[in-house]
Amino acid sequence: MANEIVVGYDGSDCSKAALDAAAKLATELKSKLVLVFGYEPYRVGGEIQDHRKALEERGEVVTSEGMERAKGKGAEAEVALVDRESVDALMSVADARDARMIVVGTYGEHPLKGAILGSTPYKLVQLSETPVLVVRG
Amino acid sequence: MESSPQAGGVEDKGLKKNAVSYLSSIVIGVASTAPGYSLAAVLGFVVLASGAAGTEAVGFQAPAVLLVSFVPMFFIASAYYYMNRADPDCGTTFSWVTKAMGPHLGWLGGWAIVVADVIVMANLAQIAGLYSFLLVDAQSLADSTVWVTFVGVIWIGIMTAIVTRGIELSARTQQFLLGVELLTLGAFAVVALWKVYVTGEPGTQHIDASWFSPFAVDSLSTLTAGMLLAVFIYWGWDSAVTVNEETEDSSEAPGKSAVVSTVILLLIYVIVSAAAQAFDFSLLSDPKNSDDVLSALGSEIFGSPLDKILIIAVLTSAAASTQTTILPTARTTLSMARAKAMPKVLGDVHPRYLTPHVSSILMGVLSIVWYVGLTIVDENILFDSLAALGLMIAFYLGLNGIACAIYYRHELLSSVKAFLFVGVAPLIGTAILYYLMIKNAIDLADPVNSESGDSWLGLGPPLVIAIGFMALGVILMIWQQIRAPEFFRSKLETAPPDLVARAPATAGKES
Repeated sequence: MANEIVVGYDGSDCSKAALDAAAKLATELKSKLVLVFGYEPYRVGGEIQDHRKALEERGEVVTSEGMERAKGKGAEAEVALVDRESVDALMSVADARDARMIVVGTYGEHPLKGAILGSTPYKLVQLSETPVLVVRG
Repeated sequence: MESSPQAGGVEDKGLKKNAVSYLSSIVIGVASTAPGYSLAAVLGFVVLASGAAGTEAVGFQAPAVLLVSFVPMFFIASAYYYMNRADPDCGTTFSWVTKAMGPHLGWLGGWAIVVADVIVMANLAQIAGLYSFLLVDAQSLADSTVWVTFVGVIWIGIMTAIVTRGIELSARTQQFLLGVELLTLGAFAVVALWKVYVTGEPGTQHIDASWFSPFAVDSLSTLTAGMLLAVFIYWGWDSAVTVNEETEDSSEAPGKSAVVSTVILLLIYVIVSAAAQAFDFSLLSDPKNSDDVLSALGSEIFGSPLDKILIIAVLTSAAASTQTTILPTARTTLSMARAKAMPKVLGDVHPRYLTPHVSSILMGVLSIVWYVGLTIVDENILFDSLAALGLMIAFYLGLNGIACAIYYRHELLSSVKAFLFVGVAPLIGTAILYYLMIKNAIDLADPVNSESGDSWLGLGPPLVIAIGFMALGVILMIWQQIRAPEFFRSKLETAPPDLVARAPATAGKES
């Protein structure tokens, strides 16, 4: 296969920019998009299951919006909601599907802030074996 | 999901999910209880309470009280453990109690968690504010209620922001912070005991076996007052038991980390309290030092500037407990909102950070209002609220014990283990906690038995605080029931058959 493009999509403006760029690439490369929404409630304490359900629902709403957006751009797409932290989610989906690349958006935050607070693109480019395309939102 | 019929929905429920390594589940277990902060906040009061209530007499049995207090927590943890092992999806207090005992008790259980959180945040903020100034040697500011409160409020703001922003300390950072905390408390105990036994400094005394004997406590009132306070120091440990750990063979080794974290906690508390008493009992038992015994003892034991590490340990401990205090509470209100037991907005998650941000921020705001309001009225009442906190914690932990036995009532006779650990132990835990709660409520009715010595409506402030919050809870519950009756019609449930047997802990040996 190796023809799918994995996109990190959480409904934020920068993830929309990532999706748009990925949709353009997908139509050019005749690839299929996989919209990944990764979430994982912090393990410590409380009603984790309801938190998880709330995130799942949020993911469903957000990714169905993303699907519309992708279709509007003429790209074929599907959704993967993954109960993992976003970097893990993107990499595991990319690995499992032997994807062509991962596309994520960045807020254009100060690099130091991203490094300290652990931004997704920052971690992803260090850890991913799949090529990563970072799009500024 | 209409637009994506081909998507598998939630992908990859795979192997890593919810599994935590052995070491980090020990770390979570110990860090959740924030031993450094708990000792700083409570040890002085436990020592005072270990004396005869209402008199100037003080007792030496604080270590014994800390030991005995663990017993009910251990039994309740058994309820947590089995509820969670059998069905990790079933939530905690609010969900369990609602299923097992009905929506009203479930609602009040959730409410008690919220109240406990608001109260403890105020106390946490006070300690954090005070120790922030002690860290930079600003003694005059540390003596100023206004400044301590100001910095305390900033701390609440920071802690709320951390939870809202969803900043997770990595497992490694947690291990490091906890390591520093444990080493510091260990060094505190070793140096104190060195000065007692080797250099034999004046004012010190040798440890006596009677310090560890609950039977040496002079009266039952004394023991229960101390225990109610001490229950607080194990608070958090119970929920850490539910963290699913990743083990080689989960049917053989579940809960090993819970056992190890328990032993570590017990050792810290007993050794540090005994060492502190041996080193300088008069300082420890001086009511003036009650709100910051560790910093007072730290400067005596380590001298400057080494005493700063103890202050850092307490501060990091307070900060570390933030995530384990606010987040579970915010999740409780999120869960209640989703069940339509609270306003819908509390169930919102932040679009980017994916945290229950509305609930978290509300908790922060309520804590600030409570903290500042109480400080304006009378600073001593802040300490009285610790006793009220004990009543709240005892109430909702006790509900869990009963809920466990009721939820599994058809399964209890399926094996001896199920009978003992799912039925008997949780109920004994509840019985002890409710005994403490009622006995103390009666004792606290007398204003003399409070830190402030104030009389509110002829009662002691801690009791008025506890009753007031519960009364407020009942009013809000009724209001919610009028607004949205649906939740309050939810039906009772029992455990599906074989659920206990499916729990690894029982399955391993019995079958």
